[in-house]
Amino acid sequence: MTEQDVIRLVNEVFVDSFEIEKSRLVPEANIFMDLGLDSLDIVDLVVALQKKFGVTIRDDERVRTIRTLGDLQQFILTLKKEIGK
Amino acid sequence: MRFLRIAWLNFCFYPFFIIFSLIAFVSFGCLIILSIPFLSKRKIFKFLRLAIRWYGAAIIRILPWPLIRLEYKNFGQNDPSGPYLFISNHRSACDPFLMGVFPYEIVQVVNIWPFRLPALGIIAKIAGYLSVREMPYEEFAKKTLQLIDAGVSLAAFPEGTRARHKSVGQFHSAIFRTALETHAAIVPVCITGNERVPPIGSPFLRPSLIKIHRLPAITWEEYKTFNAFKLKNYCRAIIAKEVLLMDQT
Repeated sequence: MTEQDVIRLVNEVFVDSFEIEKSRLVPEANIFMDLGLDSLDIVDLVVALQKKFGVTIRDDERVRTIRTLGDLQQFILTLKKEIGK
Repeated sequence: MRFLRIAWLNFCFYPFFIIFSLIAFVSFGCLIILSIPFLSKRKIFKFLRLAIRWYGAAIIRILPWPLIRLEYKNFGQNDPSGPYLFISNHRSACDPFLMGVFPYEIVQVVNIWPFRLPALGIIAKIAGYLSVREMPYEEFAKKTLQLIDAGVSLAAFPEGTRARHKSVGQFHSAIFRTALETHAAIVPVCITGNERVPPIGSPFLRPSLIKIHRLPAITWEEYKTFNAFKLKNYCRAIIAKEVLLMDQT
């Protein structure tokens, strides 16, 4: 899976699960302030991402450092690489 | 002249606020304690919440009048019957008192600090008010479900904290998840003019006209296809649009 695939699929989760317009899905968008998710929405996001990518995110400590959409895309990319090793 | 009006308002309001609060706490407290042997727990809670509503309405409608006035418009005459989920924008510490304009048994969903207020915090706890940040979401969901089943309306300020500017902040989704669980009608409430009662960072009230608009309820039929995220943003957009109009007029 390429970086572009990961970015596209992560963005798809935001569009499908939260109906956020594609134009707002820029890497520097803050997930809380710009995209408007709260802690409960994050639980839904994690479930949707786990389903989409077949990875386990929930117990990963690195999730706590994620602030922007770009951070999230890079995190998923790292996870996919780790699984692929 | 402006300074004199502010001085007069606060000089009159705060002493009466303290005296009135003491009288209200003692008299309502005695009435409730005396009624314990004769009334069911449910009726005592109902009476306590009614007393809080009267207290709140008196604090905000009578004590600061005429320098602080309330203009309440109800656009929800055709709403289905309750219980309701009242959701409001939040600019002022006086907002919980403003919920006293609604003639229902209401439990408010509050942030941490109201529970830490002397006397008022204790009474809010006894009345079953919900401190949403001090309980796991599962417990919050269970309690709100029980309240709605018992016919009790809920009032929440989904921004979570007072707005520091006139736009409406991002909403938290907890109360909207309650809506999706209970199918209760959501009533958007828009409040303006309250940002000076008192302004953030000052204890002094300013003369003001507080406008409260109760908008038509959003029924389960309207939102049943939404998820919590879409519902909170749908409600936020309705409130933000009305608040903008209210600020301009």
